[in-house]
Amino acid sequence: MSNNYLEVTNLKKSFGGLQAVNVESIKLKKNELTSIIGPNGAGKTTFFDLISGFQDSDDGKVILNNRNITKSQSYTIARLGMVRTFQLTKVFDRMTVLENMMFSASKVDNDSFIKSLVKPPSQKNKEIDIKEKSFEIMKNLNIGHMANSYARELSGGQKKLLELGRSIINDPEILLLDEPLAGVNPKLAEEILEIILNLSKNGISILMVEHNIEAVMKISERVIVFAEGKVIADDIPENVRNDKKVIEAYLGSENE
Amino acid sequence: MKISMRGSITVLLTIFSISLVFLLNDEGEIRILFNLLTFAGIYGLAAIGLNVHFGLTGLLNFGHAAFMGLGAYVTILLIPHAAGREGEVVTTGLPFFIAVIIGVVSAALFGLLLGLPAIRLRGDYLAIVTIAAAEIFRLLVRDLESVTGGVYGIINFSNSLQQYRLGFIENFSSAYDLNPAQIWVAFLSWTSIFIVLLLLKRLTRSPWGRALKAVREDEDAVRALGKNAVWLKLQSFMLGAGIAGLSGVFLAFNYGTVQVSTFVPILTFYVWAIMILGGVGSLTGPIFGSIMFWVIISETNGIAELIFENADGQQIAGVRFVLVGLLIMILMIFRPSGLMGKKEELLLDVK
Repeated sequence: MSNNYLEVTNLKKSFGGLQAVNVESIKLKKNELTSIIGPNGAGKTTFFDLISGFQDSDDGKVILNNRNITKSQSYTIARLGMVRTFQLTKVFDRMTVLENMMFSASKVDNDSFIKSLVKPPSQKNKEIDIKEKSFEIMKNLNIGHMANSYARELSGGQKKLLELGRSIINDPEILLLDEPLAGVNPKLAEEILEIILNLSKNGISILMVEHNIEAVMKISERVIVFAEGKVIADDIPENVRNDKKVIEAYLGSENE
Repeated sequence: MKISMRGSITVLLTIFSISLVFLLNDEGEIRILFNLLTFAGIYGLAAIGLNVHFGLTGLLNFGHAAFMGLGAYVTILLIPHAAGREGEVVTTGLPFFIAVIIGVVSAALFGLLLGLPAIRLRGDYLAIVTIAAAEIFRLLVRDLESVTGGVYGIINFSNSLQQYRLGFIENFSSAYDLNPAQIWVAFLSWTSIFIVLLLLKRLTRSPWGRALKAVREDEDAVRALGKNAVWLKLQSFMLGAGIAGLSGVFLAFNYGTVQVSTFVPILTFYVWAIMILGGVGSLTGPIFGSIMFWVIISETNGIAELIFENADGQQIAGVRFVLVGLLIMILMIFRPSGLMGKKEELLLDVK
């Protein structure tokens, strides 16, 4: 078994004439905190969509824990332990914060129609466990007091926390975080960074797309830079910071 | 049990609309009332099915009439009946209760069949496909005359159900000079509503119901959390279609004949209106919505006469639509969540 949890080779996706993603090779190691940066339109989110099964690639291969997931359904990939969040936070607006958490914690067989009609004691017990676990995580994320509010009533930052909480409640192996700090106030951003670092320390591998360069450089062990769909740098933060191509990509995009 | 403000207002409004029946009619009030309550029960049941689709899961189904029709046709073709121009008599058949179970299951399976290719479509696209499918169903039924009786429909099937009529129905009907066959259908459809609501209450407060709500809110997030949103939607589609199928059976038995002209798009729109009136996503809403809707439909004559002198049929039909439209508009302005809907769970964003 290799030490890589995720291996991406020759992954390609184009929209019409635009080559959105063209990644030759990315190999991510277990327990590493890796960030993807790059100018707007560099293909970062599309790359996320491709590896998490939300879009089909034109070509290439994605291996997760020695398993080929290139053509897998998004929910299968999530069940294999790779869970993603979204750039535009997706919470279940008209469900309570607790329901949001419990839905995520509930396993597929617990959700079954027949079980829900019969309501065996096993399901009841399971629900109690799930509820406890949800409260524990909500407490850790400082949204415990909002448990019975509708998710639409949360602030933008709290929604980010809820989405994060929902993603980690099943102890995923890999988290794909799409701009976890976007639109969050600086203080909360600090908190979220702290949480991400803790998750990483607890053995969760993290791949995150983020525009806040300072934050990325501070917490990442490795930074991958995208430009026009391609990987133009892949190194430790210090080296990426001084990489000529990276500086060009960013300045170039600003000049345009 | 705690009775909410919302519930009390709704009950008061329902009592008020029922009292309209007595205010606007000089004779036969009881008969008019029970006639409209029969329709209210049948359409209310259909609206409950639609609410599983739209209120609970967010599926825009505009082909409800087809599910109702399929349930009705399958059931009635399985029991003794007479079909077509010549009134071709079929004397053998299954007992009513087995036939109705097969009818309901067929409607659910039709939901599955239609859902398999269509359910991946989102929002409006699903609406378009379902309305088209319902029309295809209707035209097929019309043209397959050898099986369905085509435009001539099917008659002489009522006895399969009426033979089970209970004694108290007879007594009650003769006491108030009502049609016992209709009262029996009314009784069964309201009993079905009661049972279906009990089941749905159980289901909506379960992990399954929670999962459907999550699908309604955000399908992508559901998938990202490891749940198969398509399968959840298909299950919901089947359940709602089955409920619609049952209401279609009652509709046919209430008319005593099954006609292809019953299952036209306007039927779907009526059911939608009832669901919106009652409150999208509310379990009991469709009951109250349905009663009020049918008060309007059946009392339009009286109301039209308040507006026109000696209103003719066309004017009355016009007034009917105006009233339903007006009621929905007023509701959307003052109570966008419907009679029984929760403001926090408002599903129809009318702003």
